[in-house]
Amino acid sequence: MDVFTPLFNAFDLPFMARALLVLVVLSLVAGLVGVLVNLRGLEFISDGLTHAVFPGVTIGFVWGGRDGLFVGAMVAALIAAVVLTVIVKRAVTSDAAIAIVFTAMFSVGIIVVSRETNYVGQLDALLFGRLLTVSEAEVNQTVIVCLAALIIVGFTLKEQVFRAFDLEGSRAAGYRPLVLDILLNVAIALVVVAASSAVGNLLVLAVLIVPGAVARLVTDRLWLLFPVAAGFAILAAWLGLALGYEASVNRGVDLPSGATVVLVLVAGYVLVLVARLGIDRINVPRRTAGAVVR
Amino acid sequence: MAAASFAYGAEPALTGIDFTVLSGQAVALIGPNGSGKSTLLKGILGLIPRTIGTVEVLGQWPAPAGYIGYVPQTDQLDPHFPVSLEQVVMMGRYRSLGWWHLPGRADRQAVAEAIETVGLSDRARTRFGELSGGQQQRGLLARAVASAPRLLLLDEPFNGLDQVNRDALIETVKRLKLAGVAVLVSTHDLDLARAVCESVLLLNGAQVAFGPRDTVLTLANVQQAFGSVGVEMDEHTIVVPGHGGH
Repeated sequence: MDVFTPLFNAFDLPFMARALLVLVVLSLVAGLVGVLVNLRGLEFISDGLTHAVFPGVTIGFVWGGRDGLFVGAMVAALIAAVVLTVIVKRAVTSDAAIAIVFTAMFSVGIIVVSRETNYVGQLDALLFGRLLTVSEAEVNQTVIVCLAALIIVGFTLKEQVFRAFDLEGSRAAGYRPLVLDILLNVAIALVVVAASSAVGNLLVLAVLIVPGAVARLVTDRLWLLFPVAAGFAILAAWLGLALGYEASVNRGVDLPSGATVVLVLVAGYVLVLVARLGIDRINVPRRTAGAVVR
Repeated sequence: MAAASFAYGAEPALTGIDFTVLSGQAVALIGPNGSGKSTLLKGILGLIPRTIGTVEVLGQWPAPAGYIGYVPQTDQLDPHFPVSLEQVVMMGRYRSLGWWHLPGRADRQAVAEAIETVGLSDRARTRFGELSGGQQQRGLLARAVASAPRLLLLDEPFNGLDQVNRDALIETVKRLKLAGVAVLVSTHDLDLARAVCESVLLLNGAQVAFGPRDTVLTLANVQQAFGSVGVEMDEHTIVVPGHGGH
């Protein structure tokens, strides 16, 4: 009984409840978008996008404080998503192009933020977020941006899956991959923006990538992937927040909440991976027999 | 299609194509690897730009959405992708459904019928990647069937297929032709050409010959298309020296 109390009690506090709300909304959307990232193998591009959004975040922050951060991130995200889509389409080796453009962008962000007096503290907050001090306004911003991403991906979901499975087939059916790619990249960028004030620019990648990867390990059934990914992300967010709170407040071990959530996500991934490998090992004889019959 | 050419960038990939395929009939595209068979199919789909000439599908260009069904080669697909056969076939319905519409009962009915047409009803819920190569090919054919096309394009549908799957594929194509679908199929396999095609288009970067199957498929024409006098032809296959069974 005693073990479970902190899982619920911590969220009586308004700032904990707000943090949980932000993460739950983020988890729902990241689950949806993250599964597409996984199906398309866009992990590296997502990483690039988080870097590209960073200068927008810093310029907005230097100009207008934490509200400016949001506007700057939005502008940077939309530009980056479109530029990125075009680069990947044109470049011969897309990985090199992404790496070059986005490390450059990230450097610009660092230089901008280094002009501030409290350089280290600010950088820390921008990179790792301030989960426990999100304001009411930031909660609203997160919800609105997540909603936009949800609408974009939700309305094109079956076409996105078609494109992920069979590019030529979807082109032959009359879909334009460039349009679908820009929409997906914009949605990814929106998730990055929504998460940047809460979990920060670096940790958002875990929120985008880990739940989708977990869902792929858990099920082979397409439409189950999305609820599994979102559910896993919500569970990890809740456990991570409660764990961070319990350790920091009652045990005297200072755990930063954003990073704790990410570690719980990754720990969950490792658990599921081990379970999957175990199950596959048990199933191997049956599968081989099936192959022989075929 | 009259005097049409297709190109990737500035490099012409296929020139001087002039042929017609009628409703309920089939044309076989025959030529060596790299002769432009896939280029022609993609050109008709509008995936590769046409440099000169005209292409018309039922008197129109570009072809209206849903008029053309395309069956690509299965080796370009990720075998681990988490979709069932049923879901792959449903993709054939997406275009007529439109954006943000979910499939309804009529769509599920069409999908079930398409899967039955290719004889895979018992595998409908199997993950696509777990099907054999031949079954995947039939699955993609079912996807094209589900979109109720007027023109069907098949890219090397016999590659790596065993006899059971070949027979199933031939049966399906025959049935579609009876329903008035025009068929264009690229193949190395003369069995397929003989079984379902009235006409043959021989290619080698350009059109070598087009006409009724038995008039066009002469040893001299085939040798010209394959660019080698060593080419031999029996009633089943074209044998190119050094290329195994092609």
